[in-house]
Amino acid sequence: MTMGRGPDEAPLLRVEDLRVEFVSEDGAVHAVDGVSYEVRSGRTLGIVGESGSGKTVCSLTTLGLTRHQGARVSGRILFEGQDLVTLPEDELRAIRGNEIAMIFQDPLSSLHPLYRVGAQLIEAVRAHRDVSKAKARERAIELLGLVGISDPARRVDDYPYEFSGGMRQRAMIAMALANEPKLLIADEPTTALDVTVQAQILALIERLQRELGMAVVIITHDLGVAAEMADEIAVMYAGRIVETASAERLFAAPEHPYTWGLLRSIPRLDAQRAADLTPIPGTPPSLINPPSGCHFHPRCPYAQPDHARIDPALEPVPDDPSQFVACLLETQVRRRLWQQLGAGDTPEQALAAVGLPSGDEAGAPA
Amino acid sequence: MIRYIIRRLLWGVLSLIVVAALLFILFRVLPTGNPALLRAGRDPKPKLVKEIEVALGLSKPLPVQFWDYLKEIFLHLNFGYSYYSQQSVRSLIAERLPPTISLALGAGVLWIVAGFGIGIVSALRRHSLWDRAAMGGALVAISAPEFWLGLVFLYLFSSDIGKFKLLPGAGSYVSLSSDPWKWFTSLIMPWIVLAAGAAAIFARLMRGSLTETMREDYIRTARAKGLPERDVVRHGVRAAVNPLVTLFGLELAALLGGAVIVETVFNIPGVGRLSYQAIQSADFPVIQGTVLLAAMFVIVANIVVDISYAYLDPRVRYS
Amino acid sequence: MRSIRMLVATALAAVLALALGACGSSSSGSTTVPGSASVLSTGGYQSPLTTSLTDGKRGGTLQVLDETDFEHLDPGIAYYSLDYTVVFATQRPLYSNKPDAVEPTPDMAAAAPEISADNKTVTVHLKEGIHFSPPVNREVTSHDVAYAIERGANPNVANPYLSTYFSSLEGIKQANGGAIKGIETPNKHAIVFHLTEPKGQFVADALVLPLTAAVPKEYAEKFDTNNPSDYANYQVATGPYMLKNNAEGKVLGIGYSPGKSATLVRNPNWNASTDFRPAYLNEIDIKIGGTQAVIDRQVLEGGNVVENEPPAQSAIKLAAENYKSQIDISPGGGSHYIAVNNKVGPFSSIDLRKALWAALDRKAMDRVRGGELVTNVATHFIYPTINGFNEAGGVAGPKVDYNEHPEGDIALAEKYIRLAGYPSGKYTGEKPIEVVASSGAPAKEDAEIVNQTLKNLGFKTKLTLVEQSTMYAKYCGVPKEEIDVCPNVNWIADFSDPQTVLNITFSGNSIVSSGNNNWGQVNVPTINAAMTAAESVNGKAARGAAWAKIDEELVRDAAAVPFDWDKQPRLEGSAVHGVAQLWNEGAWDYSFTSLK
Repeated sequence: MTMGRGPDEAPLLRVEDLRVEFVSEDGAVHAVDGVSYEVRSGRTLGIVGESGSGKTVCSLTTLGLTRHQGARVSGRILFEGQDLVTLPEDELRAIRGNEIAMIFQDPLSSLHPLYRVGAQLIEAVRAHRDVSKAKARERAIELLGLVGISDPARRVDDYPYEFSGGMRQRAMIAMALANEPKLLIADEPTTALDVTVQAQILALIERLQRELGMAVVIITHDLGVAAEMADEIAVMYAGRIVETASAERLFAAPEHPYTWGLLRSIPRLDAQRAADLTPIPGTPPSLINPPSGCHFHPRCPYAQPDHARIDPALEPVPDDPSQFVACLLETQVRRRLWQQLGAGDTPEQALAAVGLPSGDEAGAPA
Repeated sequence: MIRYIIRRLLWGVLSLIVVAALLFILFRVLPTGNPALLRAGRDPKPKLVKEIEVALGLSKPLPVQFWDYLKEIFLHLNFGYSYYSQQSVRSLIAERLPPTISLALGAGVLWIVAGFGIGIVSALRRHSLWDRAAMGGALVAISAPEFWLGLVFLYLFSSDIGKFKLLPGAGSYVSLSSDPWKWFTSLIMPWIVLAAGAAAIFARLMRGSLTETMREDYIRTARAKGLPERDVVRHGVRAAVNPLVTLFGLELAALLGGAVIVETVFNIPGVGRLSYQAIQSADFPVIQGTVLLAAMFVIVANIVVDISYAYLDPRVRYS
Repeated sequence: MRSIRMLVATALAAVLALALGACGSSSSGSTTVPGSASVLSTGGYQSPLTTSLTDGKRGGTLQVLDETDFEHLDPGIAYYSLDYTVVFATQRPLYSNKPDAVEPTPDMAAAAPEISADNKTVTVHLKEGIHFSPPVNREVTSHDVAYAIERGANPNVANPYLSTYFSSLEGIKQANGGAIKGIETPNKHAIVFHLTEPKGQFVADALVLPLTAAVPKEYAEKFDTNNPSDYANYQVATGPYMLKNNAEGKVLGIGYSPGKSATLVRNPNWNASTDFRPAYLNEIDIKIGGTQAVIDRQVLEGGNVVENEPPAQSAIKLAAENYKSQIDISPGGGSHYIAVNNKVGPFSSIDLRKALWAALDRKAMDRVRGGELVTNVATHFIYPTINGFNEAGGVAGPKVDYNEHPEGDIALAEKYIRLAGYPSGKYTGEKPIEVVASSGAPAKEDAEIVNQTLKNLGFKTKLTLVEQSTMYAKYCGVPKEEIDVCPNVNWIADFSDPQTVLNITFSGNSIVSSGNNNWGQVNVPTINAAMTAAESVNGKAARGAAWAKIDEELVRDAAAVPFDWDKQPRLEGSAVHGVAQLWNEGAWDYSFTSLK
């Protein structure tokens, strides 16, 4: 499957039917249940979903960071032709922090509290380049300047607790970029930061991406962040991707009822003041015993009886081959539902308008 | 930082004065044996007892005795003379200190190496056969009384009464300067006995501490950076070590005050044995000297540990 | 403060019997040591009475392992069995003992003491040609003996037994370290003691104590002005051995390192022809410290090594089974008994005291102490090797019904309880009685037998176990504490005279408010009077008879409950031909021991 309208070259990263299971006392946790996506050089993929949707596990597995937790991985992760799932540990280590880098959500806990920031940067450099400590230190100062930290020559000897939250995240970014990776994975990079600082960090990532020509995968639960940063967006739910599209398409013409729910639960500047937000009813499902068939059907207002039996595949949308959706409803039905919702109907009203029985009437399991 | 150290040292001296005062009170107010009475023999006629009390300076009014006592200790570093041998307590302690230091430092090295090594490997291979064996062994080592362990070693390995005549037996300690090899071999068993319990405790603590730190986010970052696993573990150990430093400092201080049991079983002429013999014969000046020495070590160790903690963990700095 | 005290034999023989000269004749010990034949029962183990004194090989170094340190090595203060092992090898009092005798031999003295007819003057002639060790070197004179005794009254020295034995010396009450009026030195080789009371015989007997070992005044007085005296750290010797010293005479750190070691070397100025000691060994190296169990093993498996303290019970058993030739058993090691409060509480009743004596299983008490190898069931208070033992009833003791059953007789006990006014045959008092005992083994086990016996008789008890010195210093030795029963008291005489066994322990005149050794506060006016009279009796046989009568009175009064006469075991290495001191708890005698 190809996505994106970029030049027709092989994607930098291709994930094929990735499944990741963790063994727990209560049974196997199916954190990732058949996920496929691609990332191209210079492009940004946003992965959006709730907590527990599997978005982080996906990315950790890319770097092999779930190997230590005893994960069972199947599927393929192709990076420049090599399958990272089966790659031996020391070869994968040569890629980590070098060709693929990752930054994490909480920079205070993600930086070692007892080593100086400069030392941690130097480590990142010398893990992959044979340079002297002095040269690496110069590089560290240069990197700190690159990410916008003022007075880097003095700051390089500070400890993480002496930095502010935003500065720490900049330092993490500096560390990740030390060896000019081809792919940067950013897992909720701004969630722990103030709103004003958020904007700065996102701008920084964008600028660096342009300067270095990196691909970026940004993982977030915040649609606003995704809207700003991503070229393509994949929506994940309960370990599966339910919809992918370019950013414009996703916000203009979302196809999956879960995406509708996400969009309609965000406050909008142009909404009427009195209009209620419509949250998605219910809670995310257990990953030990996921729902049968379509994982979303228990919470989907439009679910039909056979949706509990059949697994929807991720299929392209008829009139836009770059948009994919995993839903058993017919495209036409979906679009009419979306129209009705856009006109102000509640989900029940939209259902009635389209002539579909509601979940209760049809006897579908709740 | 300097001001902090000075302040702590002053508090330390004050603590020592309090300890000295407590000793004074204990020995004067709670007699389990009035030393004059002990010296007076089997038919302690009051006149004789009185004479001895005067000779030992015990007949002056208490506050005068106390003041003299404090003055002598803190201004002249004079701890008095042993009631029995008339040797100055200061010189007695000075000649007994080197064996105790040899014993304590050697044991300290052994227990750090063993404790850390075993603890780290156990943490990294939790629930493996190695881990279970090591933690089980640790439990035995912690529970085994030093006295028993020392005797077992002697009955197994000492060259005079052991089954396998490998190492010098009890009483063979010589000073480092007179015969380095004999000094070393005579200390091997005492070092092991002393270190066993402490190493076991360390191993268990290190295992727990390292297990926790290896779950932290910065370990994930270290791996994500592509560091070799050895360095990733180093990151974990660096953070896991801090609470153990405190414990190490305090235990070492306690040992420097004299490991009574090991010194007695192996007949090493150290400060611990000195204090035990002094207690048996109610030789108060010597008891006072050894207790103050032990207190001083603990106080100094506390200060050193606090300072080194600030050095080890930059977040805990004193302004 | 330890229960083990020294035992010094004294001459009680009249002047005639002590006309023996100084050198070499070993007395036929077993016939003159009271009770030896019957209580030896050592099953073929060596004892001081059976070991030869004269066939040793000259030369070699003996290693000694002592767990505890010496208390005092100053001859004017030493008063403890372990101290004596060194003091009697380096110092020569006026009289001292051969290893197998309890009667003394003239040592510094040339002959037996001459006691005047009125018993108030004692004259001793000294040998000539005896010299101090370096750095003093000169010949010993009677002035040195006088100074040695006088310094005992110096508060910086504070001899512990001066007042007990020399209280009748003229001028002793004012003595303060200076000259004592009652000690006269008419010439360089004669010393005369003038007494205010007719106690000449008793004083003569006490001349075996190390206080009478000569001390050179011009050398020692500078040390004796220190407070306390440190003469011990610079002492000179008159015996065959001396504590190693430097050219200035300093012993501390050279011949004696407190808590660590002591070294005895030959005294170059010792003249063998003036002494009865053979002095075979060249050197004695004493190492101090360790644990008894390990030391015992090191000795049993060693060669030129001995220990000079009581071995652990397990080691005694081991030696008796597997190292028979390396264990020596010496009778007359003192006695253990139960002190009961004669003054207040239930045991002020003589019938209850008799009941306890009748009920106690003395054999069980002895079994926990090591059994027949090292104990004998005690039936009265004067113990074997002490003059008067046979007259007091020997092994069987006085014939009273509560003494007849060493395994205990509950029925008889109940009879006495009824006599005490408890018709049921069991004590019915409500108030628990206080029992204070010593916490180490085997004292603890003995205390538990006593406690159980008391309970069987109907007493409610409160048993407290404390460290031994605390037991004496804080409880049993303090009358005010009103302790009812002290099961672990122990006594060893200062020398073979029975007065030293009975006087301090059972005379009402000896009771003091602290450090009291009459633990039961026994105070029977007729017995007190008899003791006062017996102090002045002359002649060994007469004294033996007089004090034996007092012993019998004490038994009839059930003043305390005796249960054990100790025999002392000692261990030697396989290359040692050890000779033990009968008069000093079987400790090894360095002047007679040799290497094989």
